[in-house]
Amino acid sequence: MNAPLNRRAFLATTGAFTLSFVVTPPAGAQNGAAAAWTAYLAIGADGRIHLHSPTTEMGQGTHTAHAAIIADEIGVPLAWVTVDTPEPSDPFRRGGQMGSGGSQGVRAWWDALRKVGASARQSLINAGAAKAKVPATEVSIVEGRLLRAGKPLMTLGEAARLAAAAPAVEGTPKDPKTYTIVGKSTPRVDIPAKVRGEPIFSSDFTLPGMVYACAVLSPVWTGKVAKLNDGPALAVKGVERVVAFDGGAAVVAKTQWAAMKGAQALEVSWASTAYDGLTSDAISAAMLMGLDKDAEAIGARNDDVTAAFAGAAKMVEADYEVPYIAHTPMEPFSVTLAPTADGGLELWGPFQTQDRNRGTAAKAAGLPVEKVRLHTLMLGGGFGRRLGDDGIPSAVAVVMALKKPVKVFWRREEEIGQGWYRPAQVARMKAALDKDGKLTAFHIRTAGPSMRDSFAPGGLPKGQIDGSSVQILPEILYKFPTYKIDWVRVDQVIPMAPWRAVGATQNGYFVESFIDEVAAAAGKDPVQLRRELLADNPRALKVIDAAAKAGDWDKPVPKGRARGFAFVYSFASLCAHVVEASLKDGVVTLHKVTCVIDCARVVTPDGARNQMEGGIVQGLSTALFEGIEVANGSCQNRNFDGYRIMRMNEAPKVIETIFIENDEPVLGGIGEPGLPPATPALVNALARLTGKPIRKLPISQALSQA
Amino acid sequence: MTKLTVNGKPVTVSSEPDTPLLWVLRDELDLKGAKYGCGIAQCGACTVLVSGQPVRSCSLAVGDIAGAEVTTIEGLGKDDPVQKAWIDIQVPQCGFCQPGQIMSAKGLLAENPKPDDAAIDAGMAGNLCRCGTYLRIRAAIKAASGQAA
Repeated sequence: MNAPLNRRAFLATTGAFTLSFVVTPPAGAQNGAAAAWTAYLAIGADGRIHLHSPTTEMGQGTHTAHAAIIADEIGVPLAWVTVDTPEPSDPFRRGGQMGSGGSQGVRAWWDALRKVGASARQSLINAGAAKAKVPATEVSIVEGRLLRAGKPLMTLGEAARLAAAAPAVEGTPKDPKTYTIVGKSTPRVDIPAKVRGEPIFSSDFTLPGMVYACAVLSPVWTGKVAKLNDGPALAVKGVERVVAFDGGAAVVAKTQWAAMKGAQALEVSWASTAYDGLTSDAISAAMLMGLDKDAEAIGARNDDVTAAFAGAAKMVEADYEVPYIAHTPMEPFSVTLAPTADGGLELWGPFQTQDRNRGTAAKAAGLPVEKVRLHTLMLGGGFGRRLGDDGIPSAVAVVMALKKPVKVFWRREEEIGQGWYRPAQVARMKAALDKDGKLTAFHIRTAGPSMRDSFAPGGLPKGQIDGSSVQILPEILYKFPTYKIDWVRVDQVIPMAPWRAVGATQNGYFVESFIDEVAAAAGKDPVQLRRELLADNPRALKVIDAAAKAGDWDKPVPKGRARGFAFVYSFASLCAHVVEASLKDGVVTLHKVTCVIDCARVVTPDGARNQMEGGIVQGLSTALFEGIEVANGSCQNRNFDGYRIMRMNEAPKVIETIFIENDEPVLGGIGEPGLPPATPALVNALARLTGKPIRKLPISQALSQA
Repeated sequence: MTKLTVNGKPVTVSSEPDTPLLWVLRDELDLKGAKYGCGIAQCGACTVLVSGQPVRSCSLAVGDIAGAEVTTIEGLGKDDPVQKAWIDIQVPQCGFCQPGQIMSAKGLLAENPKPDDAAIDAGMAGNLCRCGTYLRIRAAIKAASGQAA
């Protein structure tokens, strides 16, 4: 068994003392009345601190950011803090749910964890001071030791032993300006184990006596098994049995390889569905038809643009389209399940929404939720895919049938083919220019399926607007004199989930590439047009100007290359990119990306930089290559030979990231906002190279059809 | 039965000869560093060294490499310069692909001790990273080979 260090193990191996801290819950927590926040920290006799982070670590670095906050508040070196994700319980919930998403990991827990750390520090100081019979005001904690007048008074471990016997007290968080770890380039706490190749992921986790179950799922959405011939699978050495479940079957074997081999041998025929003929072209056509359905359009903002359009000296109009795209985390889905001695169920897996997954497991097992224990392991990538719970019911069916520990896993073909995708979407945009080339009215109508209703079925009654379908549009920073946003719902059977940056990806592309078309029609420089639209927003102008300067916007472009610009406000961060690209024989070379982001304050600068770089690469990958191909009611490109993502030789040669920090009260996100401007900045660079806008992604397809 | 040397130790494995090396390592030898990402030699998460050459272990039958020397991420020395560079440059995000990336880098550097950007791109093009850490991988390979980034 190779579980990561958990709270129980920590307590058992270190003789740690658990402190009770009273802090105010973060905004959005529903359980404020309970308010006994006892669960975050344990401090060992050696002074080492174990922190339960309310977030799932999937490479975004929140475990390190949280450790840094605690280390700074208490006054210990960062290396003294270890972190895990605990089982779901009230202290780790926001809005009644434990989960990680929305680039909230640091911003939502900033205040709460500062208070946890401050409370710990004050409790330790009080306990140490009382024992030494000195005033608490004369005691401080520096580098993990209690000091009085600069002289060592007591070890942290000794103070923790004393503090555990007394009620915890509240403390006053330090001024963040005095932090010595937060805001510096702290090494990530999870990196050494990852570089050593330690078995930290869901797919690596094992239990004694565990078997493996390879899931075989219907390739057609909603499809069910018509006929199952398990003979050829059972003939494979090591295969124990085949378990059928709703929508597929699992081949159970002693080893993972035998389970996969058995799955290849399994003969399944699938019942026909209403979607057997669905194709990508049919999906496109339905969405484009939706754009024409005035009567069905639901407004998110409804200025009267008719007068401006009627009086326009020039109209600019264009339709844009993006396909469904897959998250493709590098680790395909798996979950390990075991029956417990008291008739319950225990799960270990890659969970981004702990309560949702636990509830789904309980329901599938017919158990009260208290009987289900859920452990979160390190995620081999998420990007939104692990927000769902779709792998759980079939996995529970397998463990219920076996009544012994089992790892249920998906192959890459299921991971992509059974994705919960970023929705396909189309947009029709219209802009009016007056005789002076001034933009007087802007109308964007998007059409497509409701991600929200698919992700949380029944979550969006007909007639209501899906905020993710118009995400970033209502709060756009551009000052359009008149501005209309509406959406036409065109549902498909294909399941969806938030995909990194959610609606900001497609809507950022639609608006930012169309703005370049408007600039061209107005005879203006694209950055100049954006400056005009942001004239009363000094914070945004600062980002625009910094990006233009660092990205050499006003300097000559090397021969054969062009630069594209884009600016997107999402997740409370302002982000602009300049992409310098060239095009030869249909192959795009990315020479440089310049990124400027204002997220108010940066907690872990190097981690934030890594998030920007990753978001840019992922955004450029989607722009260039990605889209699921639908035919015969199913995803056809189900592995990396068909679903192409960016490789190293295709990645930008250089990415320069600049952070703008300020005292804005609202912290901006980091995990997502670096991504949305990448696609339009590249599209805009290519449009300047070729003279033609690219209105349908992916670019590789648009170029090959040009 | 197939004889191999894995991370310097002779082993005799009982997996069927057609079993991909990846599953011999993971299922039979409990070495979980090499990962399953695609099963068709497209993503490189399963990369290990066989006789010093980086190979996609998901698509290499163990029976075809009887007697070979296999090195996995677990077999790198305590102070491996490539791993050290990976930590210094803070390369990983989710980290799932990184053992494969590191083993590809080991193979590349064994053949070309001072690779330039083009050589790095060519040598590493078989390893996907969905988190997009490619620029840091380039920088870490440069650092491990004693070149300025």
